[in-house]
Amino acid sequence: MPAPRTTAAVPPPAPPRAPVPPVPPAAPAARRPRRRTPFRSRLGPYLLLVPAVAAIAVGLGYPLARQFVISFQEYGLAQQFGRPAEWVGLQNYVTLLTDPYVWTVIARSIAFCLLNAGLTMAIGIALAVLMTKVGRAARVTLQVGMLLAWGTPVLATMTVWQWLFDSQYGVVNWLLAEPLGMGSMRFHSWLIEPLSFYGVATVIVVWMSVPFVAFTVYAGLLQVPEECMEAAQLDGANAWQRLWSLAIPMVKPVLFVVALLQVIWDLRVFTQIHVLQRAGAPTRETHLLGTYIYSLAKEFSMAGAMATIMLVITLGLTVFYIRRMLREEQL
Amino acid sequence: MAALSGTVRARERNPNMKMLRTGGAAVMAAALLGVSACGGSGEDAEAAGGVEEIRLWLNGTDTPQELRDYLVETFEEETGATLVIEEQDWSGLVPRLQTALASEGQTPDLVEVGNTQSPTFTYAGAFADISDLYEEIGGDRLLPGFVEAGTADDTVYAVPYYSGARAVFYNKDMFAAAGVEVPTTLAEFSEAAVALQAANPTGAPGFSGFWLPGQDWYNGTAWIYEAGGDLAVQEGDEWVGGLSSPESQEGLAQVQALYTGATSAPRDADSEEPWVPFNNGEAAMFSAPTWARWSIDLPECNKGVDPADESAEATALRGEQQACNEEKTGVFALPGTDGGAATVFAGGSNIAIPAKSGNQELARELMRIVFSEEYQTMLAENGLIPGNRDYADALGDDVYAQAALAAAENAKLTPAAEKWADVEGARILEDFFQEIAGGADPAEAAAKADELIGNTLN
Repeated sequence: MPAPRTTAAVPPPAPPRAPVPPVPPAAPAARRPRRRTPFRSRLGPYLLLVPAVAAIAVGLGYPLARQFVISFQEYGLAQQFGRPAEWVGLQNYVTLLTDPYVWTVIARSIAFCLLNAGLTMAIGIALAVLMTKVGRAARVTLQVGMLLAWGTPVLATMTVWQWLFDSQYGVVNWLLAEPLGMGSMRFHSWLIEPLSFYGVATVIVVWMSVPFVAFTVYAGLLQVPEECMEAAQLDGANAWQRLWSLAIPMVKPVLFVVALLQVIWDLRVFTQIHVLQRAGAPTRETHLLGTYIYSLAKEFSMAGAMATIMLVITLGLTVFYIRRMLREEQL
Repeated sequence: MAALSGTVRARERNPNMKMLRTGGAAVMAAALLGVSACGGSGEDAEAAGGVEEIRLWLNGTDTPQELRDYLVETFEEETGATLVIEEQDWSGLVPRLQTALASEGQTPDLVEVGNTQSPTFTYAGAFADISDLYEEIGGDRLLPGFVEAGTADDTVYAVPYYSGARAVFYNKDMFAAAGVEVPTTLAEFSEAAVALQAANPTGAPGFSGFWLPGQDWYNGTAWIYEAGGDLAVQEGDEWVGGLSSPESQEGLAQVQALYTGATSAPRDADSEEPWVPFNNGEAAMFSAPTWARWSIDLPECNKGVDPADESAEATALRGEQQACNEEKTGVFALPGTDGGAATVFAGGSNIAIPAKSGNQELARELMRIVFSEEYQTMLAENGLIPGNRDYADALGDDVYAQAALAAAENAKLTPAAEKWADVEGARILEDFFQEIAGGADPAEAAAKADELIGNTLN
């Protein structure tokens, strides 16, 4: 099954790690007199890499290779049950890429991804800064609240959100209509117009991702040395300048990684969109890449081709970050 | 995002920088591990101790526990082997079957599949040929539409398990308050629905004469069928969408009129749990399979008994409550254009032996038990129309059984196209009926939907 995976529709790009090491022949090396770096300590780091590399090769490498192969075949349900698969070359890709609807979905997904990642980062950083400024009680309350939001299983939270926005019995409509007096909102359907659908989806996705950003950035901000901040303060920098010109640049590597992950996660968002679609949205008008691939999944080859296209898009969106990150690693 | 790439002024060397960078890499690594840790949880079907074991997949809770026990016990008596029944959820069933049926290690030995999903698997070669068993388990007494859905190239692969036709439930008090009689033709039905909505006997905001949510194509299709239209028709080797035909358009115009004047159901709701607004006094009629009778719970009848309370007193109270609900609720088969019962959408399921199952003989034995007189009768007694029509009499002769049988008489399945399940998977009809509910031009919406259906089926 190539596409319909809720968690890992497209694997994130390879981590900034050394490639699989060719294991040098062990026996002769061991006998050689140890002059410079002992062989064992040179081998050690590579050995430590083996479990991670093996896990990635099995968990991501195989599905990825299989998806890639299938995308050049005609592979449907009948092939799954033993009929031989026919090679069709690039036909699946041509069919998809000449369909204007596919481009609409791609454009929608990228817009959704950038907007959500941007909002998540902005709110997450703001909350992180807030946590460094407020007193202990307020901070703990914030942290517990965010941990709960982060820790609750996605489907459980989705059920709650769905109820909140339910057009007939939802609390949101009731609040708008009863206490706030907007009678026309009493039976308003939030999901039926694509824009308002994405609005609801954005609220949910951002709500779910902000805690991760906030905690990570907060951890980063704690590492900013107090003396630098003090020095800046003595030099007359105001709070905004200290944050913007001192703290943020210092935690930039953390921000980069978090932003990169957000972009990847928001591009392949699936569960939230799928559940909201099932809650009554017009399906075709609201597909993003993840759900669109899922809808293709009866034609495994098409889904494989679309997933490969999505992988290319992900790499395209993140190549800037990855290159930059690798460069910073080398400094 | 702009906030991130702002003034990059400080490149000061700072010992902590290094640490922060490493911190970033650690976050990255943790996230990657999180991704790769999502392994599959395989099931081990190996039976212990040499006793043969076969697995039957039943979907949802439609098959009552009593029937399950009967299957397990009878199977053990007759074969000495063990039967394990595993309940599957209807939602997401198709992808689960796609993976499980293709693997010898994971496949169940007998499987229930929705009648509209049946052709997809039948054509794919997922099921074993049971043509030689066909006569023995009922032959032409089996529900013909369902057999058709389980047949490919004159070979029978899947046979009907049960069927449940939709009937209309109505609130008798509301009918009396609005001065409406039980309709006998489809036109009268629409009039009654509009009149009920206008009368709004309970005064509830958003009251519906007939509960018809925007995505409810299961019920909406009845109007298309009744007008002589179809969802898709075969022309030569090609399937073409049938929503644009004049007949379908006529039916759709009636559906749209209902959406406008006879229902306040949300456009973003589907056919799930239509009894909720009915129980809340927010709808006078709804349409559902007749086993929905057990879900009716009118406030004036509710005795506040805990459903888990097994005491004699509670059971008696629950019986009273059910009697009260059934007294206040009426049921009729949706009437046809010229009286009689309308051609409604038939729900139900087929049952088949997966081709990859390693226990073909035992599975066939179980199939024989399912189609035995005893079991078919038990299905009927529990309100399900059994796969073999000979035993439908056991449904009884109460109003529910009569409505179910009347509705089933003319019920019709979705087109028997190989890829029909894909149309449902893409939710084309949900989207389409939602547009009709929203007041879209039926001809335009139908043209668009027909194109999508045609593309999907061919």
